[in-house]
Amino acid sequence: MNTTAVLHAECVEKTYGNTRAVAGVNLSIQKGEVCALLGENGAGKTTFIQCALGLTRPTAGQIHVLGQPAGSRSARGAIGAMLQDSDLPDLMTAREHLSLFATYYSQPADIAALIGDTGIEAFADARYKKLSGGQKRRVQFALALVGNPELLFLDEPTTGLDQAASRAVWNSVRAMVDRGKTILLTTHYLEEADALADRIVVMQNGGIVADGPTYDIRGRVGGALITCQTSLSQPEVISIPGVRSVQEKGRGLAILSEDAPLTLRYLLDHDRGLSDLTVEKPGLSEAIDSLSECTTREAA
Amino acid sequence: MSTIIDILLAETGAELRKTIRAPEFVIPTLALPVCFYLLFGIMLSRGGAAETLLATYGVFAVMGPAIFGFGAGVANERERGWLDIKRVSPAPAWSYIGAKLLATVIFAVFALLPIYVAAATLGDVALERGAWLGLLMTHLLAVFPFSLLGLALGFRFGANAAIAMSNVCFLSLAVLGGLWFPIALFPSVMQNVAYGLPSFHLAEVALSFTGYAADTGTGDNLATIGIMTAALGGLAGLAWQRQRT
Repeated sequence: MNTTAVLHAECVEKTYGNTRAVAGVNLSIQKGEVCALLGENGAGKTTFIQCALGLTRPTAGQIHVLGQPAGSRSARGAIGAMLQDSDLPDLMTAREHLSLFATYYSQPADIAALIGDTGIEAFADARYKKLSGGQKRRVQFALALVGNPELLFLDEPTTGLDQAASRAVWNSVRAMVDRGKTILLTTHYLEEADALADRIVVMQNGGIVADGPTYDIRGRVGGALITCQTSLSQPEVISIPGVRSVQEKGRGLAILSEDAPLTLRYLLDHDRGLSDLTVEKPGLSEAIDSLSECTTREAA
Repeated sequence: MSTIIDILLAETGAELRKTIRAPEFVIPTLALPVCFYLLFGIMLSRGGAAETLLATYGVFAVMGPAIFGFGAGVANERERGWLDIKRVSPAPAWSYIGAKLLATVIFAVFALLPIYVAAATLGDVALERGAWLGLLMTHLLAVFPFSLLGLALGFRFGANAAIAMSNVCFLSLAVLGGLWFPIALFPSVMQNVAYGLPSFHLAEVALSFTGYAADTGTGDNLATIGIMTAALGGLAGLAWQRQRT
């Protein structure tokens, strides 16, 4: 076993009836890493996180947090978590919640300092019920930090929040990243993974299909992303030389091409009304789409 | 490092704080039993009701906070994911339940006090100090079976269903257990139902302290309460296990 890993998962499986929600995941997270677990809904991210948190027991395999079995009291003492779809009791204030949680840990954070660090002073003494969605998430984030955790789990931290509120949460997270906290983040927003994580793990159908530094994952797709409005139909576009995939985007199309000059020449020749043309390097989104495609093809 | 006592006290404080900040729960729960007692035990009383209804409404007064506090409270906190946050933290599992029980006992004292005061003053109920103490202990004992029942409901049902089910249990236990009218007024089939309810046996024990000898022995009542409490505890445990996986 790798004793230096903050989180170490070995051959983790979780089956519900005939469904394999997690199918043999091996994952090791080292101190100071900020790792984003990406995948579509149903890819197995949340089930894996629940196993790692000790909320559910894996059907097979093992997960250790700092060498302790996941879910044991010492493992729970070393982690902090911001869970998806979790709300605190309405009638207590953030400060009261934080003070109560501080009694659970052997070396809790200083509450006043924590409130300052997470930027929640302005509403630390208001009842939780009165807070906005974004403020609630930031209180949950502060609560995850009460125990001075070695490992921080953030499960879909900004789902359902607007841009401004998401950014406020990101800023809180980044401040902790700067202090060298180890973080495992799940999200289905690529922008979020891109903004926060230095390592990306992509899950699909319960297994890991890609794992690497963020820049590397992004760079795995060559070619270019062409967006435009065209009168050509989607099936026509897919048969254009060089085109790897086509997706609708807004009122136009997003075309991933392996040979941009070739594809562009064809487009310009065959569609006089071509407009709103942009050409850019493929982003994380395209990278992950193409990774998923490859594995689907391999599996088939 | 916090001790076990620190955690329990902090948690109980939090429970009490949540309770007093919900006046829409506190006021009816505290006021209803004493109002019923004033009406049926004192104003409409025809001799002896002040004593007997002191015993039975005391059980009734404790049932409300125990069943609803646990049933609706736990269901709500579970449904909104709060219990998951607790389970992920190193908080010991018993501290949540222990603190809720302790808070319910404290709340029950405040539900009982006005009834005792009304009985002693307006109702001219005169009991030995030992009998008052026995009555209080019996009434507080009622916290445990009913809290466990509430806990089972709270783990088994969603927030809205738990409130409905709590109501069904609360009213059935009160009426069929003879807390509102003596079961002697019931047809014999319904009297048999009463023997199967913890509310009836608790009321019988309480009645023994107000000078109304129980028809079954108090020891038997206590044993029955013990068995029922254990059974409800088992049920709550099962419901807890079920929601864990």
